[in-house]
Amino acid sequence: MKKVIKIKTNLLAGIVMGVFSILMMFAIPSQVRLPMWDSGAPSPRIIPGICLVGMLICSLVLLFQSLVLKKEHVYEFVWENERPELILILAMILFVIGIHFLGFIPSGILVFCWMQWFEGERKPAIYIYTIAMVIIVFFLFKNVFHISLPAGLLEFIM
Amino acid sequence: MGYFANVGAAFAAVFTPVNLMFIFGGMVMGMIIGCIPGLSVTLGIILFLPLTYGIKDASTAIIALLAVYVGGMYGGSISAITLNTPGTNSAIATTFDGYPLAKKGRVLQALDTSLFASSFGGIVGALLLLLLAAPIAVLVAKFTSVEYFSMAILGISLLAGVSGNSLPKGIMSGLFGILLASVGVDSVTGVARFTFGISILQFGIDMLPAMIALVALKQVVGKLAEYKVKGGDMGDATAIDKRGLSIKEAVSILPTTLLSTMIASFIGAMPGVGGGVAQFLCYNQAKQISKHPEKFGKGSLEGIAAAESSNNAVVGSAMIPLMTMGIPGDGVTALLLGAFILHGMQPGPNMFTKQALQAYTIIVGCLVANLFLWPLGKVLTRLVAKVVQVRYTYLAPAIILFCFAGAFAGTGNFKEIIFCAALLVFSYLLKLMEIDAIPMLLGLILADIMESNFVTAMMSYNRDYLIFFKRPISLIILIITVLLVGSMIRINKKVDALNAKQEEEISKMHEEIDASAANV
Repeated sequence: MKKVIKIKTNLLAGIVMGVFSILMMFAIPSQVRLPMWDSGAPSPRIIPGICLVGMLICSLVLLFQSLVLKKEHVYEFVWENERPELILILAMILFVIGIHFLGFIPSGILVFCWMQWFEGERKPAIYIYTIAMVIIVFFLFKNVFHISLPAGLLEFIM
Repeated sequence: MGYFANVGAAFAAVFTPVNLMFIFGGMVMGMIIGCIPGLSVTLGIILFLPLTYGIKDASTAIIALLAVYVGGMYGGSISAITLNTPGTNSAIATTFDGYPLAKKGRVLQALDTSLFASSFGGIVGALLLLLLAAPIAVLVAKFTSVEYFSMAILGISLLAGVSGNSLPKGIMSGLFGILLASVGVDSVTGVARFTFGISILQFGIDMLPAMIALVALKQVVGKLAEYKVKGGDMGDATAIDKRGLSIKEAVSILPTTLLSTMIASFIGAMPGVGGGVAQFLCYNQAKQISKHPEKFGKGSLEGIAAAESSNNAVVGSAMIPLMTMGIPGDGVTALLLGAFILHGMQPGPNMFTKQALQAYTIIVGCLVANLFLWPLGKVLTRLVAKVVQVRYTYLAPAIILFCFAGAFAGTGNFKEIIFCAALLVFSYLLKLMEIDAIPMLLGLILADIMESNFVTAMMSYNRDYLIFFKRPISLIILIITVLLVGSMIRINKKVDALNAKQEEEISKMHEEIDASAANV
C-alpha cells in the first residue's frame, strides 16, 4: 500500500513564508543600503519592506487559519507519485550544469536520452529522434534566430 | 489620425505576408499545444515568445502571440471532445457535451460545433475590443502616476484574489513576485538590493526565465512525471467521422452562441475573471434558457456552443482592460503584458496616442486571427487531432529544449538558464504549499511599472505617502479594488460550487455512456 503524507499547506506556507519574510527583514539593512545622497526619491527599502510586511501578515493569517480556525487545504504527498517529478527536476539541474561544462548539445543528448530510458522508452527510433531534436534546436537558434547557445566541448567545430 | 483612419491603416498593416504568416503559424501552434491535455495556452505563448524576439515590428510579435491564444482556445476543445480530457482549463465545460456526442459517433459534428461557436465568439469579442478600447482609453487618459500605481495594485489584488484556493496565499504570491523583481540594482537610486554578494543577482531576475520556469517547465515536467506514473497510458481518442454540422443545425445553435458570447464578453472584460469562469456561467445560462435542457450532458450541440463561444469571446474582451488600462484580465493576459513590455510597449491609454497605429494593428490582428479560425480549423482539425495520440516522450524533450534555449535567448546570458533551473525547483515548493505562481508572475511583471509610478508620485508630491488616498480617482480605484476582490471571491466560490456539482452529474452520465458503449 502506498504511504500517503498529508501536508497541511496553510500551516506549511505560513511557517515557510513567515520565516522567510522575517529573515529577509533582518537582511534589509545589510542588503539594501541607503543612497549616499538624497535625490528626493523614496528609500529603495520601501517597496521590498512593504512586500515583506505584507507577506508576514499573510503568513500569520494562514497560521491563524490553520491552528486556530482549523481551516486547512491538504496536499496528499505520495512518494511513488512524486519521485518521478523530483528525479526529472534533478535531471533538469544536471542538464543546466552539463550545459555549462559540456555545452548544449552533449548535455542535451546525455540528459534527454537518459530521460527517455527513465520514461520506459526502449525503441532506438525515439533515441535517434531525441538526439536529432537537440541538434535541430541548437542550429535553429544559431542560424535562424542568430542566438548562439553554449557550444562547450564542440566549440571547435561549431 | 482619427479612429477610422487608424483602423483603416491597421487593416493595411495586418494584411502583409509577414503578419499573415505569423498569424497562421501562431494559430497552428496554439491549436497543437492547446489540444494536448496538461499543456495550456500560457505554455504556448511562453514557447512562442522567444521566437518573436527577432521580429522587428513589435505589433507583429504581439499579433503572433494573440494568434497562439486564439488557436489554443479552440485547440483545447479537440481533446475535450475526442479524449474527454480538456486540453485547457477553459475547455472543461466542452467535455460535458462534446464527449457524449463523440461517443455517439458524431465526433466531427461536435468539433464543427466547437469551431463554429469558437469563431463566432472570438469575432464578436475582438469586435468589442475594436469598438470599446479607444473610448475607454480616453476615459483613463487623465491618469497620473498616482492613479497608475493604484491601478497596478488593483491588477495584482484581483489576480491574487481569484487565483488558487486561498486569498492570503494569492496576495503572498503577488508580493513575492514584486520582491523578486526588486532583486538587483535599483534603477532610480543605483543601490543594489538583495544580491547577497552573488554577481548574477546584480542584474536582477528577468521575467522571461521566470515565466518559462514557473509556467512552462513546471507543466511539462509535471506532465512527464504523470506519464511515467501512468506507465505511458495515453487514453483512447475517438476517431473522427465524416458527418459535420449542417447549416440548419448551425442556425439552431446561433441564439445560444450569441447569448454566451455576450455574457462571456462582459465577464471577460472584468479584470480577474477570465475564460475559466465564463464557460461555466454561460453553460449554466444556456441550459436554463434552452428548449431542451434534458439533452445537456448527453451530447447537446447547444451545450458545446455555449462553452466554446464563451472561452473564445474572452480572448478579445480580456484584452480590453489590458490594452486600455494595462491591467491583465487573467493569467494569459498577464503573460501578454509581459510580452508587451519585453517588446518595448506599455499597454495603457498612452498607447492609443503615442503608439496608436501599433495598438490598432494589434487589435485588428486579433480580429483577423479569429476570422481565420473557421477556415483553418476546417482544414487542420483532423491533422491536429492526431497530436493527441502522439506519445508524450516525443513532445516533452522538444518543449524542454525550447524552454531553456528560449530563456537563454532573452539576454544571451547563461544566468537565465540558471534562474530557470532554480525557479523550477522553487515551483515544486510552491506546489507543496499550494501557492499559485500566476500572481507571482504578475507581481514580477508589474513591479517595474508600480515602483516607477510610486517613485514619480512620491517625488511629485513631496513624499506624501497618503497621496494615493487623497486624489479622488486613486481613492476610487483603491475602494473598487477592495470591493471587487471581495465580490470576485464570492462569485468564484459560487461558480466553483456550481462547477463541482455539474461535473459530478456529468461524470456520472459519462460513466453510464461508457458502460452502455462497452456492453454494445
